[in-house]
Amino acid sequence: MHSLRRLFLFIFSTLILLALSLKIEELRVYQGAQIAIYALGISSIVLLTGYSGQVSLGNGAFMAIGAYTAALTQIHWHLPLFFTFVVGTFSAALAGALLGGGAARLSGPYLAGATLALAVGLPTLANQFTILNGETGLDYTSGTPPTWFGESFTLYKWFFWIVLVNVMLMMFFVRNITSSRYGRTWKALRGNPVAAQLSGIQVGGSKILAFTISAGVAGLAGSLLGMIGFVGPTGFGLGLSFALVTGAVLSGVTSLAGSMLGAVVLVAIPELASVIAHRLGDTERVTSNLPGLIMSTLLILTVLFTPNGPAEQIRKHKARKQ
Amino acid sequence: MQQAINALLIGISNGFIYSLMALALVLVWRSTRVINFAQAGQAILSTYIAYEIVTRTDNFILAFIGGLLAGALVGAVVEILLMRTLFKHVSDGPVAALAPVIASLGLLGLIRSVIGMVWGNDQKPFFPPVSTNGFTFGSTTVPFSRMNLLIVVGAATVMIIFTLIFQKSNLGLALRAAAFQPEIARLAGIRVGAIRTTGWIFAGAAGAVAGILISPNDAITPYSLDSLLIFGFVAAVIGGLESLIGAVVGGLTLGIGLSFILTYIGTSLIFPATFVVLALALIIRPQGLFGSKAARNA
Repeated sequence: MHSLRRLFLFIFSTLILLALSLKIEELRVYQGAQIAIYALGISSIVLLTGYSGQVSLGNGAFMAIGAYTAALTQIHWHLPLFFTFVVGTFSAALAGALLGGGAARLSGPYLAGATLALAVGLPTLANQFTILNGETGLDYTSGTPPTWFGESFTLYKWFFWIVLVNVMLMMFFVRNITSSRYGRTWKALRGNPVAAQLSGIQVGGSKILAFTISAGVAGLAGSLLGMIGFVGPTGFGLGLSFALVTGAVLSGVTSLAGSMLGAVVLVAIPELASVIAHRLGDTERVTSNLPGLIMSTLLILTVLFTPNGPAEQIRKHKARKQ
Repeated sequence: MQQAINALLIGISNGFIYSLMALALVLVWRSTRVINFAQAGQAILSTYIAYEIVTRTDNFILAFIGGLLAGALVGAVVEILLMRTLFKHVSDGPVAALAPVIASLGLLGLIRSVIGMVWGNDQKPFFPPVSTNGFTFGSTTVPFSRMNLLIVVGAATVMIIFTLIFQKSNLGLALRAAAFQPEIARLAGIRVGAIRTTGWIFAGAAGAVAGILISPNDAITPYSLDSLLIFGFVAAVIGGLESLIGAVVGGLTLGIGLSFILTYIGTSLIFPATFVVLALALIIRPQGLFGSKAARNA
């Protein structure tokens, strides 16, 4: 019954957001789509790090796999858009399962380094295989919105609708799985691996499952990001993985709802940076580096003052008051 | 045959630089149990300072020393201002345990942005102090120049000095004690905090030397040492992450191995090849060549 209520809540909020998009500015609609995609990308990290306790600095690489496979199936097999998302999601999940098999045997620092190596290394493959079309990247489109939506229904609105529906579907799945048996298993693993193993949890299998699902979620986010932007090595490099980790840390790593907050911050930072850069005189050096500066400063300050994540800190604070 | 010798020579020269980066990562890991991703940032900052000195004074030796000292200083500042606070909370919870690693990633981003603001994101030419034309023997020219010789000699000197300090002095012993049993080390009269900072200082210097030695082959940008970080990490893992000798052997193994792969299979495969080497190292010998198995789970 509880999950039925949750389903209605998800459908209801999706409908409201879809309706809202008809009323607001074009640029904001596009940013809305970006926020939804980042939220999905961040929740892939929350699922992995916050629930199962494994670190991944390379979820940007899974997003790249999702984006590239989705784009390739559209270009070469002319699959309908929805099926390209499915392909993107599952191929990223497959890659996640492969990596997860190795990752389950590794502890923190090794895993962090290995996934970072993946995030740096994978985008360079684009220049190695002609099918991936180098720095130019691949064309991956949503197609024009259906004509019966009317003249005023722009491409950005169409982007937003596709993105939102897919993100909400996936979020619903993620939300359910984290409150299922598997979610509890992961939490037990994170809390105390030895105790979890003693109570009959398969440590390796659960860790691999978490990695697989996390990669799949990231893969969908990547396909969507490729659709509204472009599919190329520069968009899916270390910067993306870095942004996801920042977003996850800002939103508290342990809470799925917080991923929205992290996503809003990620999209807001470039806006804020351009305002400040304008005040400082818009020199090229400042405009191109200020977003990175703000983001990394925010990241450092967050871990410095709330080492357990802001959400946890607030929870503690409340507990102390009572 | 000639091709194999060339591959070996390039591999040795690169391998020494990877070893230095690996050494920096191992030193930090041994003293504070953190993989310091900001090592690439600290190294590139030191390299920019060396670049600034060399363009103003045209004296490479001065620039080398200046960069090395800057690297050491940055290492100390990072440890004292940032990491020390984070380590206090490490045992607070599962997320706090990751805080130092995440902070080091943030620091990498911060240092790059600051460099970009001060020097710009464009490529800066770092002119080599000595010839980069390969030595000629009779009619054949090998891809090993005076610059490569400088790299090997410079890196080896740093390594020998470090080895002497860590194997022959009490400092090395104190560093190991502080890493493994901080409480007991403190009871034995070791100033654990100061010892940890020392580890970061040496690491900063090693990273700086790696950056200064690798850069004259190429132009520098705020991002140009990212790949070195990955190579250094892989080299450190091959060597076992615990051992200084392991870092050197790991770096040389990786350098020579990659050089052969690039010569015989294809120059564009450098990152996939690195990842394969890392995967193989973790599968075949997860504890590393010189590490103990228990260390991996520490």
